[in-house]
Amino acid sequence: MRLSSGVILAAVLCGWSFAQPSLTPAQRQLNVDSFEQVWKTVRDKHWDPKLNGVDWPAVHDELRPKIEAATTMQEARDIMSDMLKRLKQTHFGIVPGEAYRELDQKNETGKSNASDGDPGLDVRLVDGHALVTFVTPGSPAAAKGVKLGWEILRIDGKELAPGLAKVRAALGSPMLAELIETRSVIERMEGPIDKTVEVEFLDGNDGKVTLALGRAGPRGVETVVGTLPPLHFWVDAHKLQPDIGYVHFNMFFEPAAVEAAMKKTMAECRDCKGFIIDLRGNPGGIGGMAMGLAGWFTKQSGLVLGTMYLRTTSIKFAVFPRPNPFDGPLAILVDGCSASTSEIFAGGMQDLKRARVFGTHTAAAALPSMFTKLPNGDGFQYAIANYISEGGKPLEGIGVTPDREVKLTRHQLLEGQDPVLDAAVSWIHGQ
Amino acid sequence: MSRFYIGRNIAIGAAMVLSLSLARAADDLPKADTILDKYVEATGGKAAYQKHHNEISKGSLSMAAMGLKGDVTSYRAEPDKSLTEIDLGGLGKSREGSDGTVFWSLSSMMGPHVKEGPEKAQAQLSSHFNAELNWRDVFKDAKTVGTDTVDGKDCYKVQLTPSDGSPITQCYDKDSGLMVKMTMTAQTPMGEQTVDSFTGDYRKEGDVLMPHKIKQSLAGQEILITIDSVTFNADIPADKFAVPDEIKALATKK
Repeated sequence: MRLSSGVILAAVLCGWSFAQPSLTPAQRQLNVDSFEQVWKTVRDKHWDPKLNGVDWPAVHDELRPKIEAATTMQEARDIMSDMLKRLKQTHFGIVPGEAYRELDQKNETGKSNASDGDPGLDVRLVDGHALVTFVTPGSPAAAKGVKLGWEILRIDGKELAPGLAKVRAALGSPMLAELIETRSVIERMEGPIDKTVEVEFLDGNDGKVTLALGRAGPRGVETVVGTLPPLHFWVDAHKLQPDIGYVHFNMFFEPAAVEAAMKKTMAECRDCKGFIIDLRGNPGGIGGMAMGLAGWFTKQSGLVLGTMYLRTTSIKFAVFPRPNPFDGPLAILVDGCSASTSEIFAGGMQDLKRARVFGTHTAAAALPSMFTKLPNGDGFQYAIANYISEGGKPLEGIGVTPDREVKLTRHQLLEGQDPVLDAAVSWIHGQ
Repeated sequence: MSRFYIGRNIAIGAAMVLSLSLARAADDLPKADTILDKYVEATGGKAAYQKHHNEISKGSLSMAAMGLKGDVTSYRAEPDKSLTEIDLGGLGKSREGSDGTVFWSLSSMMGPHVKEGPEKAQAQLSSHFNAELNWRDVFKDAKTVGTDTVDGKDCYKVQLTPSDGSPITQCYDKDSGLMVKMTMTAQTPMGEQTVDSFTGDYRKEGDVLMPHKIKQSLAGQEILITIDSVTFNADIPADKFAVPDEIKALATKK
């Protein structure tokens, strides 16, 4: 998947500092135009017409003279950011144009495109360390002998740790951090499939190993949904043990493929002791699929995972029970890279007390939001809806807290263990 | 595809009253039955409608803001059988239908669903074949509630109240007699959703004038439906309206 960590990160890096040349009259006017666009967009498109109780016209009247007088880009951004901060809500931010360019730059080979590939590694940030959590069988990384638990130290000669620390400091909150940092690391290994990427690892013996890894096409099948860039979808469905069904997919797209995987596993697992839905690393996708997935696990009609509130209407995430659903123990696995639809599903099923959630805190990014370019070249992110899980809490900014928190460790990964999965299996067997 | 409910089978469905209009009903407005009968005449006349016993409509559906496009095919037959199939790129296939008894929807994304209560009543309403001709059988009341202007055209607003369910408001061009807008509140498990449908590009299919473009506004999104072809009295297989197995399994339990 080609999620842009740059865009996500840029959205929260409103305080990013760049050299500040003085502005021409034309640039100052573009900043004023941008200010007006931001103000009007919030006024017209925010899901809450009362704008969280903020006197929006008064904010405009207070800040308009300041934006007119702003003499640097940073000053203009600060004023617009100040305006948005008055809402006291996430997913509203000004994205510096420079940050777009800086953060979208993955490596010296340039941006990704249709011919991009990757070495076949999945990564998670564990206590600030980028650890290998999955090696795609048959991938260039597998061919070079990369193992679970190895730590990535450098990519194409660039040390990871300082950059990751900088990002963490800029974020100021653990929410979203794992998602953004992980995407950042993975993207730095992506690039043209006819070129290698040099990765320095800390291996299982704490020795430094530098490997030139080739790239292959991303795992899964390409899927195109609307205006989104091409994505690669995969689903892994099988009986995990003789008595547990297991379905893991990387994003909420390709509804027919997910349905087929669920049908197959359900058919094989009618008498299973339990079922596991693995949403680790799943950044979301089509919100409606959360409802369809929930229907495999309840007989009860009328259940709702949560409600999305738009300006003119609200949409309940209703569950349609499938014929012969699985009513045994259900475990859902999540981590800091589980976002959006993953959080809607996990949080809703947890609220309905239909599932037990294992892993680490989710990304807390459940609002549908839009990005648009402003006249001055900066970006503007704004949310268009609010989402409240059935238990009454917003997932945005809070996320899903697992019923059983289980963190990965380098030692366990090196041993080939998956402690999150192991905890879920153990719980199912104990039921 | 019924001209009355052309959007119902495509998006989420049905009826709402614009309450502000209610106070504007006046003696100088034409009666609702006059407006509705004029619509039948303007679109081909009673005899033309009565010649049709089933219908297949094919077209496309797009949601420009999301960059989504897909195909839509609708089968309808007397008295109240229907099947609408949508294949929307990236979102998969979905179906919605009725055999006259069971009203249902089915998609990979959402799963199978048997409609009950207000949602079923609305689906029954929208499944009536030639409902525009037989509106007196479908609605217990129809009244003119005011006027409006839609896309620069002055129109009469008619409120239609079914025997079961919430009213629908339709607006008929004062000059041509053609329906230009319909406002409904869809009854769905996801909650009530107001749907505005703007109908245009009327063209003849056989002896009947039909809208070929329907622009719907739903939950802040715009959906454009374009009808490419319509076939009347087609050779529709008998099992076309059969209830899918997944639905049967659910319906049996209810």
